[in-house]
Amino acid sequence: MEFTVKSYRFNPEIDEKPYYKEYVLNDFPGMTVLNALMKVKAEIDGTLSFRRSCRSAICGSCAMKINGITKLACKTQVSAEIEKFGVIKVDPLGNMPIIRDLIVDQEVFFDKIKEIKPYLLGKTDHIDDDFKALKEGEKIKQPVYYKTEFQNLTGNNDTPNCILCECCYSECGGVVANSKYLGPAALAKLYRYSEDPRDNDKNGSRLVNGSKSAGMFDCVHCQACEEFCPKGISPVKVIVRMHEKAIKNSITFSKGAKHIIGIARSIQETGRLDEIKVAVDSVGISGILNDLPVAIGAGLKGKMPPLRLKLIKDMEDIRVAFKDLNLEEKHD
Amino acid sequence: MINYAYYPGCVAQESGKELDNSTRFIAKKLGINLIDMPEASCCGGGVVDGFDHNLKLYINGRTLALAEKLGYDILTVCNTCTLTLSEVNEELINNPESLEKTNAYLSKIGLKYSGTVKVKHLLYIIRDEIGLDKLKQAVTYTLDGVKVAPFYGCHILRPSSVVKFDDVENPSGFEELIKALGAEPVSYVRRTKCCGFQTILVNEVTSTSLAGNAIYEAQQNKADVMVTPCPLCHLSLDTYQGVAAMNINKKLSLPVLHLPQLIGVALGGSYAEMGFSRHNISFRAVMSKIKQNKLK
Repeated sequence: MEFTVKSYRFNPEIDEKPYYKEYVLNDFPGMTVLNALMKVKAEIDGTLSFRRSCRSAICGSCAMKINGITKLACKTQVSAEIEKFGVIKVDPLGNMPIIRDLIVDQEVFFDKIKEIKPYLLGKTDHIDDDFKALKEGEKIKQPVYYKTEFQNLTGNNDTPNCILCECCYSECGGVVANSKYLGPAALAKLYRYSEDPRDNDKNGSRLVNGSKSAGMFDCVHCQACEEFCPKGISPVKVIVRMHEKAIKNSITFSKGAKHIIGIARSIQETGRLDEIKVAVDSVGISGILNDLPVAIGAGLKGKMPPLRLKLIKDMEDIRVAFKDLNLEEKHD
Repeated sequence: MINYAYYPGCVAQESGKELDNSTRFIAKKLGINLIDMPEASCCGGGVVDGFDHNLKLYINGRTLALAEKLGYDILTVCNTCTLTLSEVNEELINNPESLEKTNAYLSKIGLKYSGTVKVKHLLYIIRDEIGLDKLKQAVTYTLDGVKVAPFYGCHILRPSSVVKFDDVENPSGFEELIKALGAEPVSYVRRTKCCGFQTILVNEVTSTSLAGNAIYEAQQNKADVMVTPCPLCHLSLDTYQGVAAMNINKKLSLPVLHLPQLIGVALGGSYAEMGFSRHNISFRAVMSKIKQNKLK
């Protein structure tokens, strides 16, 4: 089968602006997109630049956008892409500056990985934190592991399997919105260490630092990291687990934590999501005043939600759930 | 008539009532019987999991059990409700331990869940169960000449291991529906991206930039109107459109409709019936164009 590779090209030393170049190839059974790019480079155009190494979906080097979705080129079959899109259109990873062709500058990604201190803290290590969440002498609640469970020591959800390929980071809606946001890979790593009982983080400083602005509460829950991880990891799920752990350990100074607690409290009181109350709980009165033009605009259109919500029918059922789970007073 | 346990979600009952009204309007026209569940609670807005995972299981397990008791599948009109209910359904069906503890709670309130309910979004109920042919037949005002930018949002597509309605890499259900109404779907990259709503109260500037850029791209592609199957996306895209324009420093003025409003217009709904006056950006100009396209 003859097919076309349409590649993003840009060499800042000679090109004024980026362009696409097309290469026509013949496929072979089982041909991957990486095979195709290597064939282009070897036989048609030696100037095409891209990262690659293991060809086995383990080094994470060849991540790129293939027909608009970030994938590992070595793990993506040409035939499947052609069947769906009719072409192999390749672009560099998103959310990172482009160095040349399909190669991006990964520095910002690895800076964020370094920022979460991706190693077990020893007894003499200290994390700088200006916020003490727990009382003097109190230890953060940590899951207890037994020897038989050591094979799954680092929590779960396969976070240690991350190959740092940046697929999640490239697709992350949170990073698109806020380039300072730590992003899914760094946060999944934060989870991996915050769950490890060998880690000497006694005062919960990992979760405290992770709760700061541009941290775990800036996740937009777009689910792209889970969807497009080539190793089957779900950063968004472990980010949510860290939300829960932070809130249960009273690390609730962030707007994001307040937002979550506000929603839970609203459900406890009315069975519904009280839009006004949740907004006040999340951003406070001053935040609401900042948003006054939006609120007035919505009000004039008749979109203002009711100030006092009608309880759902059988509201007592919901109270039983909160009582059963011992959640009644915890968030106050 | 096809019966569904109707789960409008909180926003459609509060600030987004026009979504609930237009859903009821088109349901009647398309032979969908919506059975109300006044006992159903909030799904947790996509974030209650971060408060307590079991709470998410309990309150949504309860909603699933209520629908099972009625004997109907659940019809949703909100992406986030769809994902949350689907996630809980998957967990209860596949994890006996979760089902057992949820049923222990449900037994205290006189309910039980055995995992027979399916959670379906209106968009895909129309495509898969009502059928686009039937929809076409019901059209009284063709949307011929109207360019519609579909904004899928996240939770109706991702994660595809849980919400399995469409091809996550290249979805087409929304476009097919738009074509069935006679309109022309606008193709643009951000149709499947995030609207930013989940962090709108955490970081408004960055959050609204996502919605703003999607609107800008649709505008650049000559869209007359943007349509979304999710009321949370609608808040980001319509209510916050002015803020988004300021934050991305672009001129934005694109009417944004809820999915059943677009269908409702094609099925003869009036400006008032569809509740368009409740929107921030006026749909009047496009509406008058459509009103000239009467078929029967």
